[in-house]
Amino acid sequence: MTAVVLDAEQVERTYAQAERGARGVTAVRGVSLRVHAGEYVALVGPSGCGKSTMLNLLGAIDVPTAGRVLLDGIDVRTLGDREATRLRLERVGFVFQRFYLMPTLTAAENVELPMAEAGVARRERASRARELLGYVGLGDRADHRPAQLSGGEQQRVAIARALANRPALVLADEPTGELDAATGDDIIALFERLNADGTTLVVVTHDERLATAARRVVHMKDGRIVDDRVVRPLLGRTA
Amino acid sequence: MRARFFFVVIAAVSGSLLHAQRPPARDTLAPTGLREPPAIRTIAVDQRLIAREGVQLGDTLTLRSAPTADRANARAQRVVIGAVTAREADPSEVARSEYRVRLHLDQLQSLIDYGDRVDRIAVQLHPGRDATRAAARINAAAFGFRAHRSRDIAVTAGRTFQVVERFHTAIGVITIVASAVFLLCILLLKVDERKRDVAALRLMGLSRATVARALTLEAAAVALIGSVLGAVLGSAIALAVNWYYQRAYDTPLVFAFITRDTVLLATALSLVLGVLAGLGAAWRLVRTPPLALFGR
Ligand SMILES: Nc1ncnc2c1ncn2[C@@H]1O[C@H](COP(=O)(O)OP(=O)(O)OP(=O)(O)O)[C@@H](O)[C@H]1O
Ligand SMILES: [Mg+2]
Repeated sequence: MTAVVLDAEQVERTYAQAERGARGVTAVRGVSLRVHAGEYVALVGPSGCGKSTMLNLLGAIDVPTAGRVLLDGIDVRTLGDREATRLRLERVGFVFQRFYLMPTLTAAENVELPMAEAGVARRERASRARELLGYVGLGDRADHRPAQLSGGEQQRVAIARALANRPALVLADEPTGELDAATGDDIIALFERLNADGTTLVVVTHDERLATAARRVVHMKDGRIVDDRVVRPLLGRTA
Repeated sequence: MRARFFFVVIAAVSGSLLHAQRPPARDTLAPTGLREPPAIRTIAVDQRLIAREGVQLGDTLTLRSAPTADRANARAQRVVIGAVTAREADPSEVARSEYRVRLHLDQLQSLIDYGDRVDRIAVQLHPGRDATRAAARINAAAFGFRAHRSRDIAVTAGRTFQVVERFHTAIGVITIVASAVFLLCILLLKVDERKRDVAALRLMGLSRATVARALTLEAAAVALIGSVLGAVLGSAIALAVNWYYQRAYDTPLVFAFITRDTVLLATALSLVLGVLAGLGAAWRLVRTPPLALFGR
């Protein structure tokens, strides 16, 4: 049995309401989800069903109001801001719908940013950044700034950045949401390669093709998991 | 221009300036104590008068004791321009539009019909003579007037200069700091964008300290750039102001100047402001949970 990377037990998340007296919104209601190393999970469901909220809980960005989330066996709720930040830096890679590259930095510098924070030596940072940009197919665009790159290219830089500190887990929220179909396909192919190379992936998406590329699809509705099935076996097991 | 030819006249006791210009054949022009003054005497006139009225050294002028309108009552005297005086950079003089003319004392007395009444007399000492002792001796002998050292009188003018100089510094500093603050404001106006950047950095695992340091550094850099732009702008404005007013008032007086000290003071101020603004903004941004910064 491969190691458990993520373990959510009866997780609940209620957002407090800004107005006094108004009842809070419960976005996630008692969700349990276990993700093993090497899995590729797509989290799908109608808008507002709690997918993003769930992803934030899994990535130690947010803390559940009930239940618990274990990331690499660590209970996220016991961590202070400093430890949670460090955990995200070293163990989790994030890919957002809107890339969020730093506009003043080049592609390579953007990829180096998390490595610099983690204390990787300058020379190693530079060579690993080039290597990662090569991996996402942007070896020749390392010195370009985000404004000089297309949306799909920016998203690939963001994926390279997510991989900077060799995370065990990559979480992506609508990574193809801002891209056209052809560019989205590039990203889908890149995710498949990433997973084939051993990275655990959890992807929130509305994109049918991205969902069918995953090996396991989890359906959510009204804050609950209504369906959870493996559509294709793990590569590691078939090999 | 009523005042144009109504010369403000002052007595020039020392004739050295005039002596130098005197033609050799007319040595009888020299003021020689009790002897009758000659028919035509020399005067020294303001350089600007030479430029404006197209007169020159050696020209003969008619001096009147009253404006041309009162011609009938005025006394007149024909004089030759024997010397030219340049205007000095004195702030207390700058707004005066009259021209100064220097005459020999006796000539002045007869022109304005003052008799032997005199308001002020300037006494020039030979180089190296002690002004304090001279003043004391004059005061011991004088009846009805007092002698002062010119340095003592100049103190008031010196204070004027100090005030003006502080005023210059203030304007320079304000220009430079304002430029820096202007850029900082633009930076802060983009705070929504910065919020998302900060949120993304924090989600990626960059610590509060790292993010705060980056924001503060950025604000400091912006303040520095603003100061440089401000200094350039300030210097350009100073040049323009000087060019304009020196022409308008026909004076060598420098009206605005940006010194190295002004630039240093203003840059230091802007930097302090920038770092404080950066720290303030950073503090607010890193304290907010990153998800809230995404503004959902
Ligand atoms: N910060 C918040 N404060 C209050 N309510 C929130 C907050 N964030 C999310 N919600 C609510 O929680 C529910 C789930 O939101 P969530 O963003 O997780 O949905 P989602 O499945 O990701 O939707 P989409 O597919 O549109 O992105 C929604 O009803 C939403 O309005
Ligand atoms: Mg969402």
